[in-house]
Amino acid sequence: MQRTTHRSLLLARPVVVALAAAVALTATSCAKSEDDAADGKKSPAAADAGQKVVTPKPGSRTCTVDAYGGRKIDLKGATVGFSQSEKEANPFRIAETQSIKDEAAKRGVKLLTANAQSQFSKQISDVQDLLAKGADLLVIAPLNSDGWDPVLQAAAAKKVPIVTIDRKINATPCKDYVSFIASDFVEQGRRAADRMIEATGGKGEVAILLGSAGNNVTTERTRGFKERVTEKAPGLKIVFEQTGDFTREKGQQVTEQLIQSKPAIKGIYAENDEMGLGAVAALKGAGKKAGDIEIVTVDGTRNAVQGVVDGWISGVIESNPRFGPLAFQTLDTFTQGREVPQDIVIQDSAYSADNAEQDLGKAY
Amino acid sequence: MAEATLKAVPPDRTRVLQWLQAYGVYAGVALLMAVNIVVTPHFLTAENFRTQAVQVAPVIIVALGMALVIGTEGVDLSVGAVMALAASVTALYLGYGLLPALLVVAVFAAGTGLANGALVAFVGVQPIVATLALMVGGRGLALVLLPQLEDLRNPALASLGSGDVLGVPYLILIAAALALLVAFVVRRTTFGRQLLAIGDSRPAAQLAGLPVRRVLIVVYVACALLAAVAGVLATARLQASDPTSLGNLMELSAITAVVVGGTPLTGGRVNIAGTVAGAVLIQLLTATLIKHDLPPSWTQIAQAMVIVCAVYAARGRGKR
Repeated sequence: MQRTTHRSLLLARPVVVALAAAVALTATSCAKSEDDAADGKKSPAAADAGQKVVTPKPGSRTCTVDAYGGRKIDLKGATVGFSQSEKEANPFRIAETQSIKDEAAKRGVKLLTANAQSQFSKQISDVQDLLAKGADLLVIAPLNSDGWDPVLQAAAAKKVPIVTIDRKINATPCKDYVSFIASDFVEQGRRAADRMIEATGGKGEVAILLGSAGNNVTTERTRGFKERVTEKAPGLKIVFEQTGDFTREKGQQVTEQLIQSKPAIKGIYAENDEMGLGAVAALKGAGKKAGDIEIVTVDGTRNAVQGVVDGWISGVIESNPRFGPLAFQTLDTFTQGREVPQDIVIQDSAYSADNAEQDLGKAY
Repeated sequence: MAEATLKAVPPDRTRVLQWLQAYGVYAGVALLMAVNIVVTPHFLTAENFRTQAVQVAPVIIVALGMALVIGTEGVDLSVGAVMALAASVTALYLGYGLLPALLVVAVFAAGTGLANGALVAFVGVQPIVATLALMVGGRGLALVLLPQLEDLRNPALASLGSGDVLGVPYLILIAAALALLVAFVVRRTTFGRQLLAIGDSRPAAQLAGLPVRRVLIVVYVACALLAAVAGVLATARLQASDPTSLGNLMELSAITAVVVGGTPLTGGRVNIAGTVAGAVLIQLLTATLIKHDLPPSWTQIAQAMVIVCAVYAARGRGKR
């Protein structure tokens, strides 16, 4: 419809090319952020983040090499493939990948890594690549729970044991994969409720900032919290439940509306640290003081624990991302022929005013 | 109000639809206000109006630029990505101070706008496709520059986000000033007339000897700059740069505000006052549902209903 003349086309291309070049140049060269001056950046997961397993219940199911149908190998000298689901853009993923890498280095194991960048099809081909590159053992942080059949078949054909971390694969344990290592999100919700009951004295109105809708983390952290509140502190009323989509901005906006319409609110339970920090920003903006409203969050990122130190956040329940030691210990035990549990729950710690300052280094 | 049109309104349309088209959005805002005053506790407080205005300010600013683009019969899907880009560039260059950082942000935003405009004006790519490319690419670039959320402590930036003059936050003042400026440009300047003429009929504008390409490029650059302003203000308010989530779905909020405000997607008309009212309407709707603790899915359904009503009202006159 337009008369795009020859001249204009010739003109347009250099414009676009020059633009791209300019962007690339300015972006990479002379940036200077606030932190550049004061260096001394923390290295995530550098602090010893030793990890404990919650003592398994007696009679819980276990798995051995013989039952799985693999062969015994020595973990030293073996090649381990690690497939990460999401890009290392948030503290949890950064700490998780770092922990796997650190543990592999510590044990002198050759580690191959891949990152699916939140695309499930890429994760499937990532794992197949890892297998093709000669991984003897696999550690997978699955993006989805379903759709793993092609990978499981390929791994079974090569008799490669799989350990999944933080999310579960819907398949048969000890047949399709060896063990699943994760946090107990319901338990995190319960512990957050305990902390909230303690902070508010078990009476008054509290609000929940929910995570993204349709996410199992959201539903489980909500369930645990509500269960414990109903059971232990019937005087604590949950009068407000709105989603903050796990982001700081939405957490801030929703909290602003909340403190407007329900000025009597005594506590806010944020289902992740980012929303909790958004709530803190909203309270600061509304001229409240630290401690006016009790905030309890889940995750244990450095910023949130700093918030506890500053008095704005009453408690942070940790969701431990450091799966490295536990994953390798499980693989080690398994490949030596001894039995390992099928479901391994990682122990989460917690931060409150008592320990936040000295444990700040453990936060990720 | 600040509505400019180049073609005469066909006289035979039903009057109700005309009225709805022109004043429906204001009626909606008035109705929601009335309902809230009755049913929502603590609604009639200065603090509440301040909260709503501060939250809606970035949406209004983005919607202003979107209204200009839609006036040329285009659409800009890259505004959310530009906001994210502005956030990450702000964080990256804040070490030099606020003003230099803002200049670099402006350069990046202008670059994105220029790319959008060049694709539309020179290469002849359809706006929805051209800006879709920049929407994906812009956020990608933002994440390359700043892969994860970063806290900002610059006091000048903090005061931009939470400071006020005589109790009116800077955010509201900036949004109001920009709205007046854009309304003036559309109604009172040659550039505004040219923009509407191009939206009405690009071939006719070309034949009439208007500088079509120049105007289109300026419009897309202006839209990107406005989005960048919104991105910086949102970042200042949050006191953290969060390119992963900042501006997500902002393009849809902005288009909704523009359409609900009575600007047809077919171009040739821009209703700035209506656009502002459209953004306020959506904000009030969301606030009402949140304050009454209704499930978030209701907000989406309510927004959809508002859009359908707006499009129904516009049906008679949008067609050409």
